[in-house]
Amino acid sequence: MNAIEIRNLTKNFGTKQAVAGLDMTVPVGAIYGFIGENGSGKSTTQKIICGLLKPSGGTIKLYGKDYTDVDIRSNIGVLIESPGCYPNYSVWNNLMLQATNLNIPNKEEEVRKVLKMVRMEGSASNKFKNCSLGMKQRIGVAMALIGKPKLLVLDEPINGLDADGMRIMREVLVDITQNYQCTVLVSSHILGELEKIATHYGIIRGGKMIKEMTADELEINCPTYVAIQTKDMTKAKELLKSKFSRVTEDEENNYIRIYDAENPEQIVMYLYQNNVIVTEIRTDKIGLEEYYINLMKQNKEGK
Amino acid sequence: MNTKFKSTFKQTKSMLKVDFRRMFTMPLFYIMLGASFVIPILILVMTSMMDGSVTVDPQTGAETVIEGFKNVWQIIGSTSGSSMEISIISMCNINMMFFLIAVLVCIFVADDFRSGYSKNLFTVRPTKTDYAISKIVVGFVGGASMLLAFFVGAMLGGAIAGLSFSLKGASAINVVMCIISKIFLVGIFVSIYVLASVVAKQKLWLSLLLAFGIGMLFFTMIPLITPLDCSIINVILCLVGSVLFSVGFTYLSKLILNKQDIL
Repeated sequence: MNAIEIRNLTKNFGTKQAVAGLDMTVPVGAIYGFIGENGSGKSTTQKIICGLLKPSGGTIKLYGKDYTDVDIRSNIGVLIESPGCYPNYSVWNNLMLQATNLNIPNKEEEVRKVLKMVRMEGSASNKFKNCSLGMKQRIGVAMALIGKPKLLVLDEPINGLDADGMRIMREVLVDITQNYQCTVLVSSHILGELEKIATHYGIIRGGKMIKEMTADELEINCPTYVAIQTKDMTKAKELLKSKFSRVTEDEENNYIRIYDAENPEQIVMYLYQNNVIVTEIRTDKIGLEEYYINLMKQNKEGK
Repeated sequence: MNTKFKSTFKQTKSMLKVDFRRMFTMPLFYIMLGASFVIPILILVMTSMMDGSVTVDPQTGAETVIEGFKNVWQIIGSTSGSSMEISIISMCNINMMFFLIAVLVCIFVADDFRSGYSKNLFTVRPTKTDYAISKIVVGFVGGASMLLAFFVGAMLGGAIAGLSFSLKGASAINVVMCIISKIFLVGIFVSIYVLASVVAKQKLWLSLLLAFGIGMLFFTMIPLITPLDCSIINVILCLVGSVLFSVGFTYLSKLILNKQDIL
């Protein structure tokens, strides 16, 4: 069974189509990285899943049931855009309200537990409006975690966080999927961070899903390569192309990439024998960010 | 069907708990309660100080005698059949509380949308009926508390101003029924205010505008339906009206919330 199964989802705002026949499958227990440009329909899709926007068409199933089912909806934790908290209430009171909202039997214990999870035990008495952006995001996640939800929908939860805040958020998300058996649908523009935790990816463009894959599939699509820099890049490129089948030029950073080299020494020796001195050499790997940019480029050209 | 009812009941119960917790921890509620208590004291004391003073029109030289409250019950209501003249007495009475209740209800509902807390509420509430029911019930309790605070303030203000407490044309039971009728009437007004707030969502100015606008249409009926010499018929009428409005406006509020996008 899948945690989320969306088929042919559409959403129109007047004449503008924000979501245009989106299909999406999120397996149970996954951390699903939802990626796309600004205005591609990520937030709209997440809002529809949470019942905050009405879809114009299509079907949404959550854990095999229609998304309007009361039982399944009471098992969704949500952080869309900004945390939904009353600004003049303390962090503690906001969380207690959410625990009341979800009919949690042992509210105080639950609130203490989620505060500990997001490392906010010491800030419970602070008024929400006086918290920093990073703290607010963590409180938002804490709100979403109350009641051990089966599904967490997080829209840009790491936006505006510092390095430490991002690390904490990352640890929290991994922790809850492992200990709560929770499925997480998380959108973010910070792909480097997403890559560290996501088990599945969905890439959306113009309201349509253009690629869905697992982290293993991404690994296959993102091969390792040897990047070299020489004093004579033109000659080096010609020589390498004659010996290796997959050679590309990273013009932006002035590197030559060789994808099918068995070992870097082989390249250095070969170029040295042909009077080309290698000034820099390293082994690297295509990341999610580069994969995403290339995919977007291909998709735009394809259109 | 039974399961659906059970889950709606459970959700309404939790929504009520959230709203009561919010209402009783928000400073605005206590400010409103305090204002409801102080306003009648100020009105009664100040008008009794001005009672009998004469103002002269500088152009015509015509003299007007300012009439204050003669009896403390005048601030609660007038007996049926009394003339409806526009004076301090007819304007400054318990009925103006119905507008203050609009402020409380509209801010209370708009805060859900302005703070974004509605995202937490509606994610787990696909039917939205419980939301409307809870707002009406809590608004009713808040409004009724304000009316009672006004009543207590009026009694205290009357004593301070040295006004008469004697009842003419009505008995103590009539007065109790008058207060009960007015409390039931709060249900009608709160239903209207909740609907206005649901339509306006985070736009507080619009919800107040709608609440005052629609409320004004019903405002004139308050002295007619709830005179000081109220009978059990008036009480029943107000109760039935309140229940009907609450049910009808809960349904309308639910329809609007279900039809529209929340964000």
